[in-house]
Amino acid sequence: MRLIEDKERRQKAVLNILVLLIAFVGVAKRSKTLDETSAFENILIDSFAPLQTSLTSIRTEVASFFDHYVVNINASKKNVSYQKRIDELEGEIAQFQELRRENKRLKDLLQFGTGVDYKKILAQVVAWDASSDFRVIRINKGLADGVTLQSPVITANGLVGYIYRLTDSFADILTVLDNNNRVDGLIQRVRAHGIVEGYNSEKSIMKYVSRAEPIILGDVVITSGLGNIYPKGIRVGKVSRIERESYGITQNVEITPAVDFGRLEEVVILVAEGDEQKKREWEALDQMDEDSEKQARSKR
Amino acid sequence: MRGDWIKYLRPLGITLLILVVLEIFSTALLPMLGLTKYRIPFNVLLVLYLGFKIESPYTSLFILILQYTHSFFTIEGWEMGTIAGVMICIVISYLKDLLHLSSSVITIIITQMFQFLWFFIVAILFYIREESFAYIVEKFWRFVPESIVISLLAPLFFSVLDAIWRTESDRALGDSV
Repeated sequence: MRLIEDKERRQKAVLNILVLLIAFVGVAKRSKTLDETSAFENILIDSFAPLQTSLTSIRTEVASFFDHYVVNINASKKNVSYQKRIDELEGEIAQFQELRRENKRLKDLLQFGTGVDYKKILAQVVAWDASSDFRVIRINKGLADGVTLQSPVITANGLVGYIYRLTDSFADILTVLDNNNRVDGLIQRVRAHGIVEGYNSEKSIMKYVSRAEPIILGDVVITSGLGNIYPKGIRVGKVSRIERESYGITQNVEITPAVDFGRLEEVVILVAEGDEQKKREWEALDQMDEDSEKQARSKR
Repeated sequence: MRGDWIKYLRPLGITLLILVVLEIFSTALLPMLGLTKYRIPFNVLLVLYLGFKIESPYTSLFILILQYTHSFFTIEGWEMGTIAGVMICIVISYLKDLLHLSSSVITIIITQMFQFLWFFIVAILFYIREESFAYIVEKFWRFVPESIVISLLAPLFFSVLDAIWRTESDRALGDSV
């Protein structure tokens, strides 16, 4: 006895069940931290993304025309004040350079471990994620430019996120506003640790901060360097709200990111220069393990 | 059987092309104009159309292909939308005698109703993965305006898609499903 007599209906039911099964397996297997694209996806994303780039470029050119030529009445007055500000900042930079040299000398004296060197790659934002559930931006640099998965991304103002998905010419950044992105943060003033998670399109929250930590509004949050993705000392944002329940041992801290994501146009990708060497070392170690296993098997 | 499959290739190809153009518009232009909080989920609109109007054993495969194309523009992946789309198709097949897309207002209302169902299915999947109810609430407040825009666009898009898929505009949902 057949459950569904009509052939077409039976075929439809079988296909529905099959597609649902494949989709459920896909949901279970999907990684939250990174997405490695297949060669086919790579080709298609690289084909569609230039269209996004051209649309963004048209908009940028139009905006640039209005900003630079049409709305340009007070430019000369502003130039004078900017020149003054540049002179002040140049003085401050000279002081900071002196402090950096002093810091290096003291580190050398204490025989501190050397930090990882990063290659900086400048990229342009070409699009945002198609779903508002994810705070992801697409940039116009990829594998061909030396970008690697999970490289940190910053601007002059602070942390943007890390590389989540990568193709030959484009990359998707999981920003600090996305709740799948978790950053080990540090309150700069009191050195209190916590985990910064995306919360909504404007704010992040810092979890697991001890209740005893005397955090105040306006405290600056920086990356702690733990977690192997972000280097230490990148500005994440400022404390904009503190929630202390009458019970529990932690407090929830709301953070306003240092980066204005609504006006983000260019970003800098930090690619660790030692990555290739580290990769080769791991491969050599894996090869040694495999060889020793083979030898052990042949002896048996 | 083979010919049956081939007759859907052309409309499916055009629908995919429409999806790509709309996704580029939604991901590149709208955020650059300052609309970073909301996104118009055109994939939902196209998947709902397939569920409402296409009488084929391959509808679930079409939904999968649409969602897979959508996944090139989002890290969401194709899976959740496919699950929601196929489940909605199943629901439509049971409600076929009750629902008729006979006017623009009815189309808007029915599209809105099924978007709620879409949200409900996706919210359950998100909850299983994220274990955060606060996230679902936040998602709901974004869903409301986005879904209203989609519902308002539905009559126009459905008439264009009717011409592409050569389906009748005034017909009971899921006839002969």
